[in-house]
Amino acid sequence: MVRCPGKTARLNRLFNPRDGRAVCVAADHGWMSDVTPNVMELRRILELVVRGGADGILISFGTAVRHGHLLRGKDSPAMLIRADWMNMPRLGASNVSNVLPVVNFKKMATSRARDALLMGASAITIYYFIGYGDEFEAINIEQAADFAKECRKVGLPLIIEPMAVGGMVTGVNIAEILIASGRIAAEIGADALKIPYTGDVKSFKQLVDQAGVPVLVLGGAKSDVPRDALELVDEALRAGASGTVFGRNVTKAKDPEKMVSDIVALVHGGKTIAEILGERRALGQRLKPVPTQCVGCQLCEVACVRAHTPGYGQTRARLRIQFPPLGDELSPIRPVVCTLCGQCVEACQPGALTIGPDSRLVLERNLCTQCGACVEACPFDLIFTENGYPVVCDLCEGDPECVKWCKRGAIVLTEWKRRARHVHAE
Amino acid sequence: MEVDIGKTIRISDFISAADGRALLLDTTLPASVGASPGLTHIDEVLREVTEILDGIIVNPGQAEHHAELLGGRRRASPLVRVDWSNVYRGPDFCLPAAQFKHLFISDAEDALALGASAAVASLFLGFDDEAEAKNIESLSLLARDCYRLALPLVVDIRPIGFKVGPGNFEESIKLGVSFMQELGADVLIIPQCEMATCATIGNWIAVPVLVRLDEIPEAGQVEELLKTGLRGIVVGEKVIAQDDYAGQLTKLAEHLHYRRPDDGALPR
Repeated sequence: MVRCPGKTARLNRLFNPRDGRAVCVAADHGWMSDVTPNVMELRRILELVVRGGADGILISFGTAVRHGHLLRGKDSPAMLIRADWMNMPRLGASNVSNVLPVVNFKKMATSRARDALLMGASAITIYYFIGYGDEFEAINIEQAADFAKECRKVGLPLIIEPMAVGGMVTGVNIAEILIASGRIAAEIGADALKIPYTGDVKSFKQLVDQAGVPVLVLGGAKSDVPRDALELVDEALRAGASGTVFGRNVTKAKDPEKMVSDIVALVHGGKTIAEILGERRALGQRLKPVPTQCVGCQLCEVACVRAHTPGYGQTRARLRIQFPPLGDELSPIRPVVCTLCGQCVEACQPGALTIGPDSRLVLERNLCTQCGACVEACPFDLIFTENGYPVVCDLCEGDPECVKWCKRGAIVLTEWKRRARHVHAE
Repeated sequence: MEVDIGKTIRISDFISAADGRALLLDTTLPASVGASPGLTHIDEVLREVTEILDGIIVNPGQAEHHAELLGGRRRASPLVRVDWSNVYRGPDFCLPAAQFKHLFISDAEDALALGASAAVASLFLGFDDEAEAKNIESLSLLARDCYRLALPLVVDIRPIGFKVGPGNFEESIKLGVSFMQELGADVLIIPQCEMATCATIGNWIAVPVLVRLDEIPEAGQVEELLKTGLRGIVVGEKVIAQDDYAGQLTKLAEHLHYRRPDDGALPR
C-alpha cells in the first residue's frame, strides 16, 4: 500500500511496525459527554495510560494544549486529536442523566488537519454517523471528505469512526450497516477505522476483510468486569483487527494502567486472557452439575457449541440440560455433563480415547477405528460422532465455557481424583 | 498552438492516442453501498486488470491506497471520482436511501495530487429541480477548476431520477449530453441505450463518448457501437463479479483496439 511519506511515518508511530497493531486509548469524553470522574481526573489517568504502554491516545484539542507534554519522547503514545464534536450522548429529552439534554443531533468539524499537525498529532479522528437519515449522513460524508482532502495535502493520517445510530438502525441490520460504513469510510479516504464490535467474530471478520484498511475496535460502554472487555479485544483480534481504541473501559477502570497493560499483553504480547488474569486452569478438575441451581436456560449448551464450532445451536453440545417429564414438576432440571467417569475409555479397545495428565478426554484419531463403543458406553449419552469419530468434552482446554456462562453456578469445577487405570499418558 | 496540452496528454492516458478508443472499469460503487460483489477486494481486481484496461475509475481512498497498481505506461490510468451519492442504495441495502443526496468528496486539485488522469463526476437527471440545479452548479465549478489545472473532466450521465421513465429515457440521455458538452466536459459516459440514440449522439458530439455496459458485449455489438461514433466502453461491478472477468476483458480490449478508426486521433 502506497501512502505519502508523512502519512507513512505517522502511522508507523501509531501501529507497531513489528506486528502492525496498536493499542489506543480514547480520552475525549469531556469534550462531548458528561463530566464524570474520569474527565475530572484526566491528567492522572493520562499519566497512567502512558505508563501502561499505550501506542496512542485520542484527546481533544484543548487537552492536547494542556496535557500534550505528557506525550513527549520516542516511546510515548502517539497523539490522536479528535477533530469534530457531537451531542449524541446528550440526545433525547429522556436523557435526564445529563444536565442539558438535547433534541437535535448535531455534529460539527471543530478543528483542521493542519491544526492537529502543528500540535504534533500523528492522526486525527472524526465520526461518520450512519442511520440517522440521509441528510445527516450526507453532512457527515461531506465533512469526512473535507478532512480526507486536507489530510492528504498535509500528510496526516485520518481515522474515521463509523457509528451506526438512529431510528433506522436495529439489532437486525446493525452489523450489516457497520460493515458497509467501514468500507464507505475507506473509499472516502480513511487510513484506519475506529469502529464498534459487530457482536461476533464472523461478521467482524467480514468488516475487517472488506474495509481494506487497519481496523481498531472500540470498547463502547464500560464493561462490568475487565474480562468482558478483554474478551471483546480477543474476539476482534481473532477477526483480524489491528488493535483497539478503548475509552471508558480504560479511563473508568479501577486501575487504568493495569487495564492498558493487560490490553497490550493481549494485542502485542500474544498472551491469553487466562494468562493475563492469572486464572487457574482446570487441571486436575472435572465438571460437576448442581441440579438445584439449574433453571433450564440452556445457555451452557449454546456456549458449548459456540466454543467448539462456528455458529449457535444446542444439538452439537457436549453437555445437555435434561428436563423432567411432562407432569413431573417436582423433579429438578438437571445439567448432564461429562464427569470423567472413564467408561468410554474402558470401552475403547484400541486405546484411542484416554484421559490425559491434565484431566481431559483426549482422542488419538489415528488409533480410532470408529467402532462406536465409546458412544455405547457413555452412561450419560453425551458422546456423539462426527464423520465417524467421537466428539467428547475437552473441558474447553481447561477453561470450560459452560462454567463461565452459567451465572447460577449449576455447573461447577470440582477436584478430580484420577484413577490410574483411566490414564494412559501419565 | 495547443493551449490545453495538459488535458490532451492526460486524456491520451486513458483514451488511446492511436485509435481514439478506451476501455474503462468503474470501481466506485462501494463508496455508496460498501463492498459489493466483485469489488470486495479492489486490490485483487486491480492486479488482475490493470494491464488490460486503459483506465480505472476509483474513489479517492482507493486511489491513494492502491497507487502502486495504477498509472504509468503499463497500467491503467487512475480516474478519480470526486463525487458521492446515496442513489445506488436500493431496497436490498441495509439502509435504503429515502432522500436523494449528491455531494463532492474530492476536487480537481486533490484528484491531480492523487495522480488522476481525469476527474469523474455524475450528472443525475430526473430528480427535483433543486437537486438538478445544485448538480449543474457544482459540475460547472469543477469544470472551471479542471480547466485551470488542465485536468480532463469526465461526466457520467445518470438519468435515474423519479422523473425518468421508459418514455423519456433516451431523450434524457441526449439532454444530459447536450448540457455537459456545453458545460465543458472533456469526456462523457452515457448509460446503455438504443443504437439510434448512440448514433445521434455520435454524429453530433464533439467530445469522446463512452457507453456504460453491465455485461461484456458480443463482438458484433462492439462493432455496431463503434460505428455510431462512440469511443469506448465502461464496465462496472457486474462484469467484475463474473467468472473469468479478466479473460473476458482481455478479449474485449483486443477487439476494441484492433479496429482503428479512419481519423486515428482524438477530437480537439
